[in-house]
Amino acid sequence: MKLRTLTVILLVAFTVTANAQLPNITDSRVQINLPNVKGDSVSLLSLKGKVVILDFWASWCGPCVYANRDLVKLYKEYKSKGLEIYSVSIDENKKAWQKAVTRQRLTWIQVNDPGGWDAQTGARWNVQALPTTYLINKNGDVVGVDMEGKELEQNVKKLLEE
Amino acid sequence: MNAQFTKATLQATGLTCAMCSNAINKALQARPFIQSVKADIKNSSFSIVFKENADVDIDEIRKAVEDAGFAIGSLKLTGSFNEIKIGNDSHVQIGDRHFHFLNASNWVLNGEQTITIVDKDYLTAKQFKKISESSKTKCLVSGKSASCCPGVAAGTRVYHVTI
Repeated sequence: MKLRTLTVILLVAFTVTANAQLPNITDSRVQINLPNVKGDSVSLLSLKGKVVILDFWASWCGPCVYANRDLVKLYKEYKSKGLEIYSVSIDENKKAWQKAVTRQRLTWIQVNDPGGWDAQTGARWNVQALPTTYLINKNGDVVGVDMEGKELEQNVKKLLEE
Repeated sequence: MNAQFTKATLQATGLTCAMCSNAINKALQARPFIQSVKADIKNSSFSIVFKENADVDIDEIRKAVEDAGFAIGSLKLTGSFNEIKIGNDSHVQIGDRHFHFLNASNWVLNGEQTITIVDKDYLTAKQFKKISESSKTKCLVSGKSASCCPGVAAGTRVYHVTI
């Protein structure tokens, strides 16, 4: 019980906060390792060395549909240049998530943390609204939060050239 | 007690997707009489469970939603009722709170029942306009006791409900 309490305290203390220094994905406190649509686990850490967009969404989130459309275009353009996207859905309904991935033609890494707003991954990354995106450089540092449109594309381009 | 509210279904409205924000969950969960809040994705609503025998402060639910940056689109309260006589424009006291039943036929409420709050800021503006135009009672607009509320001290909060 004590260990569990301590773990919770540590998790809260090290949760990503808007004002705190943005983390590096090698930090054990923010690691993500979740099953993809096929059921195979994929870790965020395995993408170190690439420019990564970490994206939190859900199938029932209307604004996420629009954001995904932009990500589809961005991925098409920059995948071959070294961009990867790691999308974490907080859908409680696995089928609804899988259906949305197919319907929206999301071809990048799709994983599911089925806890809804209680999802551990979302809590560790301080996700308070959907969609939430983090931009991560080749060193694994989070360098941007909630960028979209041209701002996101320009920064992706810049990071790919670094 | 002649009635005890046990749960509620809440729909929130706003400029952005209410279900896509954790703010409403958090604001509601911080209220002492609320046991749990769960997002019901299928119905775009929040299912609220109240603590057992808790004093459910309905205006506090509205404040929580507004604090989170949203507004109430619909609030339905479910509770256990015991021999509560209602009729059109009847006033009923549940615990310390006063309720005014609109468009109700003569009936005795028993067992589990669900009521809908139809006060201002508990519906969309359009829906409230429709209801306030259909009722002549002054207290509906202010949400406070007026000449139409016999036996209720002037200025007392009166919740307007339908069933």
